[in-house]
Amino acid sequence: MSAEFATLVDYWFGDLPREQEAAFEEHLFGCDECTTKLAELVALGGAVRAAWREGAVRAVISRALFEAMKKADLRLHEYSMGPGGRVNCTITASDDFVVSRLSAPLADVRRVDLVTDAGRFEDVPFDAAAGEVLMCPAPGALKRSGKFTLHVRLLAVDDAGERALGDYTFEHSPS
Amino acid sequence: MEDAELARAIARSAPALDPAAEAEFCRRFAPRVRLYGLRHLRDRHAAADLVQQVLMMTLERLRAGKLREPERLASFVLGTCRRVVLEHFRGTARRGALLEMYGIEDEALEDAEPRVFERERLAACLEALSERERAVVIGSFFEESISEPGLSAGNVRVIRHRALGKLRVCMERA
Repeated sequence: MSAEFATLVDYWFGDLPREQEAAFEEHLFGCDECTTKLAELVALGGAVRAAWREGAVRAVISRALFEAMKKADLRLHEYSMGPGGRVNCTITASDDFVVSRLSAPLADVRRVDLVTDAGRFEDVPFDAAAGEVLMCPAPGALKRSGKFTLHVRLLAVDDAGERALGDYTFEHSPS
Repeated sequence: MEDAELARAIARSAPALDPAAEAEFCRRFAPRVRLYGLRHLRDRHAAADLVQQVLMMTLERLRAGKLREPERLASFVLGTCRRVVLEHFRGTARRGALLEMYGIEDEALEDAEPRVFERERLAACLEALSERERAVVIGSFFEESISEPGLSAGNVRVIRHRALGKLRVCMERA
């Protein structure tokens, strides 16, 4: 019998308990269907990684991913800004990514929403201890962009409502 | 052909080779060993080496008629994978002599045609995920051991399941 997708995901990311993992491997080595499904999951992962590395995707990222990208020798162009900040920014042909490091008072904040001219992005990842939100626009689209201004607002959201944490302005020019 | 029949066919023809049976053995087990290698070694080249080594060691055993329970061929291959990976981590992996003695044609070990995902579609499907889901999926595949601040390992696991399920459905819809 073929394994559930969730089991394949847990196996791949090392989330199965040791004994269950050993039993699953016994099954996998005798199951063509599971081998095919796992190979598809691995291929999907490779495609996600490639899409990210090639700049096709935007994301608000964790510090851990930021550090992993640095370790992988990706060329990151960083802009750091506090609340009320404004920055002239660009992306050059040799940059792999632009990472905007938005600092804000995030201690005790439970949820952060990021609002831009393009829309509202709910519950973005943030590092409360470091007081930072790391915004990573899709480099591919950014490299094709002309001059524009982007307004960003960070909001703390909880049961009582929402409050602004900071406003940030990017003045983008092509390189 | 069942695993046991395959094992017996290879053993029967020794010392001559049974190219058809050996090719079928490689076709069947190379992807499994490769996935095992990718999972435990997290390195494409090391996984490719593992495929070569494990298939050669198993063929050596089969040709010598030393596999006592042919019906347990898959378990034997898995056990060999585990041993070689352990040796790999101990830094004592042996390779050269077997490669010389029982070199396997590279084309027998090539990956099955990798599934091609249309990049724009994949980007759109990733965009359709929530911010947390996208961050977890990208982080998970960029570096498997990555952590997400403010989330427990259990939470990351739940988000990963949900996100990959959505991504799979979205890609299949294309």
